[in-house]
Amino acid sequence: MEDAQIVNGLVRRCIAGDAVAWEEIVQRYHRRVFHLCYRFAGTSDDAQDLTQEVFVKMYRTLSSYDVERGAFMTWLTTMTRNLLVDHFRKTKQDRVTDSIDAAPSEHEDAMPLSDQIEDKGAPPDARVQSRETRELVHEGLQKLSPELREAVILRDLQDMDYRDIAAVLKVPEGTVKSRINRGRAELARLLQRTYKQVM
Amino acid sequence: MPGETNNGMQCNEFEAVLFDALDQKLSGGKLERFRAHARACAKCGPMFAEVEAGQHWLKTLTEVEPPANLVNDILAATSGIDSYRLQVAAPVTYKPSLGERIREWADSFLTPVWVTVRQPRFAMSFGMAFFSLSVALSVAGVKPSDIKQADLSRSGLRRTYYTTSARVVKYYENIRLVYEIESRVQEFKKATTPAEPGPKELKERDKNHKNNTSGDPEPRQERNYSRDENQPVLASAPDNPPAVSVTTNRRFA
Repeated sequence: MEDAQIVNGLVRRCIAGDAVAWEEIVQRYHRRVFHLCYRFAGTSDDAQDLTQEVFVKMYRTLSSYDVERGAFMTWLTTMTRNLLVDHFRKTKQDRVTDSIDAAPSEHEDAMPLSDQIEDKGAPPDARVQSRETRELVHEGLQKLSPELREAVILRDLQDMDYRDIAAVLKVPEGTVKSRINRGRAELARLLQRTYKQVM
Repeated sequence: MPGETNNGMQCNEFEAVLFDALDQKLSGGKLERFRAHARACAKCGPMFAEVEAGQHWLKTLTEVEPPANLVNDILAATSGIDSYRLQVAAPVTYKPSLGERIREWADSFLTPVWVTVRQPRFAMSFGMAFFSLSVALSVAGVKPSDIKQADLSRSGLRRTYYTTSARVVKYYENIRLVYEIESRVQEFKKATTPAEPGPKELKERDKNHKNNTSGDPEPRQERNYSRDENQPVLASAPDNPPAVSVTTNRRFA
């Protein structure tokens, strides 16, 4: 049986009130949702709360999922993304990517954001897989604007195809590709400032 | 220069296949031409390098391990709204009972109140309220032991209800009996006493009294002191009663 059929079966059972089916759905998707929330929100605590919210919302609106209209994963990602955007608006942590290389404050001679990322001193090649590097990349990801961040997260971290991303973000596929391009380039530029010798 | 042909590929074509190249979908001659253009073009080359580097950095981010209690938390949170979901999703298969609906309805406005009330700043207010209540109860003579001794079980409450109802019915029956006896006594009294002049006759009499303008004293009403025939004293009296002389001495001034 295909994965989509299994998931649809689970959803149907869950709507009929089968608690086991619901638990299976939670077991199946909680990692993915948590990962998406963590990369978008930035902290584990926020990600945990948001993941819980996503599943509570899904539990309430599961009956509204239409098998004919798209894959369950796309539906779930759309819901997660909408909740993350709402959360982002509430916390007012919005940042404009275009200003990454600009001064973070009103002072023209202030240090750019990219220069504020601490250089630990060790060669980047040696620790590209290290925890600190991942943390720096994660920090860099948080500096991107939400539009670019969600596009690169869905593509490079969630491995979604462009069509599904376009469905989730409700923008044309060309816009999705453009945002992914810009997001990757902005992130590279940000980290390049930190590790000039590598790049 | 943008749009310029470098090794058989233009910049717009380069951008069109950029994603295929990044997704490792380009091969053969097309890939070679792509790489050649990237090396030669001053605009596309750096742009491709940046995008590829960004992609590389993002690939280093591995999937994070969620907290161990996350699944349990999710299940606990969702099982709390079980009735709501089933009510929305499958109204045919599950209908919440009246008690659940009342509880849900009460929760909708009690929960925010409870959340507000639990704040520490209200602790002193509740302390004072409790103190005032306990003082008022002790002044009123209410003892907690009385409440403790009260049987609040279901059967106890039912027994109390029936006992109270029986007491009320008995009291009502007693009161009704008393009123019935009272009314009978009044009826009996009315039947045995002579009829008094009605209000109309009394009025007529008053009128006659007021119309007398002669100034003479009101004529004395003839009173018949004789007894009826059936009165035994007169009936047995002799026909010639003894003469009684009455002498009246008048004093003249």
